[in-house]
Amino acid sequence: MQFRLEKRPEPSKLMLYVTPVASVLLTMLVGAIIFSLIGYDGVGAVREIFLTPLTNSFKWQDLGVKAAPLIIIGVGLSIAYRANVWNIGAEGQYVMGGLAATGVALATYGMTGWWILPLMMIAGIAGGAAYAAVPALLKTRLGVNEILTSLMLTYASVQLIYYLVRAPWKDPMGMGFPQTRRFAADALLPNIIPGTIVHLGVPIAIVVALIAWFVMSRSVFGYQMKVVGAAPHAARYGGFSENKTIWLALLVSGALAGLAGMLEVAGPFQRMVPGFPTNYGFTAIIVAFLGRLNPLGVILAGIVMAITFVGGEVAQTTIGLSSSATGVFQSMMLFFLLAGDILVRYRLKRVIPAQEARA
Amino acid sequence: MNLDLLIAIFITVVGASTPILIAATGELVVEKSGVLNLGVEGMMLVGAITAFLVVFLTGQHYLAIVLAAGAGIATSMIFGFLTLSLSANQTATGLALTIFGTGFSALAGQGYSARPVTLLGPLFPADLATHPVLRIVFGYSALVYFALIMVVAVWWFLKKTRAGLILRAVGENDLSAHSIGYSVIGVRYAAVAFGGAMAGIAGACFPLLLTPQWAERMTAGRGWIAVALVVFASWRPFRLLAGAYLFGLVMTMELYAKAGGGPLSAIPSELWAALPYLATVVVLVLISIRRDASTNAPACLGRPFLPSN
Repeated sequence: MQFRLEKRPEPSKLMLYVTPVASVLLTMLVGAIIFSLIGYDGVGAVREIFLTPLTNSFKWQDLGVKAAPLIIIGVGLSIAYRANVWNIGAEGQYVMGGLAATGVALATYGMTGWWILPLMMIAGIAGGAAYAAVPALLKTRLGVNEILTSLMLTYASVQLIYYLVRAPWKDPMGMGFPQTRRFAADALLPNIIPGTIVHLGVPIAIVVALIAWFVMSRSVFGYQMKVVGAAPHAARYGGFSENKTIWLALLVSGALAGLAGMLEVAGPFQRMVPGFPTNYGFTAIIVAFLGRLNPLGVILAGIVMAITFVGGEVAQTTIGLSSSATGVFQSMMLFFLLAGDILVRYRLKRVIPAQEARA
Repeated sequence: MNLDLLIAIFITVVGASTPILIAATGELVVEKSGVLNLGVEGMMLVGAITAFLVVFLTGQHYLAIVLAAGAGIATSMIFGFLTLSLSANQTATGLALTIFGTGFSALAGQGYSARPVTLLGPLFPADLATHPVLRIVFGYSALVYFALIMVVAVWWFLKKTRAGLILRAVGENDLSAHSIGYSVIGVRYAAVAFGGAMAGIAGACFPLLLTPQWAERMTAGRGWIAVALVVFASWRPFRLLAGAYLFGLVMTMELYAKAGGGPLSAIPSELWAALPYLATVVVLVLISIRRDASTNAPACLGRPFLPSN
């Protein structure tokens, strides 16, 4: 029995939504097999990484807290990737957002007032957007590849954290640890469900995704991003400026990464530490693709990815599996998704040998 | 500054630039065939952990290099299968490959961090390199000479051989190459495999040549700098040399600054650590101001090949 690929007249809507689900399921299946073959407890790994976070209700709050930054950054990246703008430096923009918010928190230390958190939020958004503006400027003015510049700036931003927490922003009472002081109460995100770790960032993530979905599907802005990404020539005829699209794509994705940075530093971290860059910016790339560059899909993909993070921690304590296994599972998911893309554009057709001979 | 110090600096620069040079030489061939593989960093990490484990377990340095190349090829074939056989998006697949290599190497190297191995020794007998000036020529390990030989070899291959001409044709105009009977996908598979082998060997340089141990993410973005270097060199092999040594110099300054030597230490060490990345951005800017840079890019770079069917 032989199969042949035949191009579909239209990309398959069904396959577009089936393939992400299939890639998650395939990852669980193939992951269990591969991890067993190389001498790990494969079935246990898959159970702990993919299922325990869902079945254990104590883990649900962790899921929300991990998913929030992934969703916020993933939404921004999905907008940029729709426009074919490859911002892969979201991690750096997340860091700069966190640093800008930290700057506000430290400058207002000792003050009280409801205005501190919104100010930190604005600083975080501005910090992320400003850092994304560098690749935007270089891309639009000089044609410099945004993939490389945004990524190089990420590596530089991590060094900036190291410098700031080692010298100027170091906690004077921190017993020599390279970290800032704990933020004052008014500079910390409030918990929204008493007795849990669920902070204000979780509902913000959902709201951001819903707004983005509305904007992308209902506004001229969304249309512009999609048209420039899918058909640059047609877009130019239609009067959409390519440079403007590049600017918007980078500023929006940078601003959202910066917002996520602010929410993380004022939420779970409560201070700036050298371990602040936690790869949310890179994982959000997988989230954006797994969510099919659709803000609503990003919510689901963000939760799936949060499951693997929380599950990775579970597997570390219960069956002693390294947390880096999570990264292997996550990239496997993306591989299957990218492989499945061909089913969106092509269909498998059974080749009947006699027919082939005639052709 | 005395001669001995200058020679020491020169030798450090050559060492620091070697992995970037090897990885960039491989990526240049890949891009010349019209494929953009952004997974260099991931393949390097797989090569690095492979080389480390082989040396740690057997003590065989050359076996480690060969197996690191093999591991690089194996990793690159994931990319090749997805982008060439299934025509998946090259940018996304390359990113996925880097995420995979980072996770896989960390998993394989679990429990091995900070275990020491021995560095690969110099290729030539020590008698040849007694005089400081002779050390500049004969004082390196085989990997350094390999990097230089490969630059010349790739130049010769692309410019002077028939196979090189076919590879360039595939990268410049895949449809024409296909219509006169060359296997576009086959050539690209070969190029991607070569890039994988080179990235694997480049990764092997980290435990064998630079820091004799395993550390998670020990390649620290050098694979990405190698990708940038290909743009910097505007796809010309010999220009890779200049670029790689420039980055080697910047990284060496960081080492000297951290060692607390002289005027360099007045600047925060974090700035020195950030300098190679910032220098990459500056170099990309300078290169794009020069007009010919982007016009030299292979015409089919990053475009999937879809013969009409």
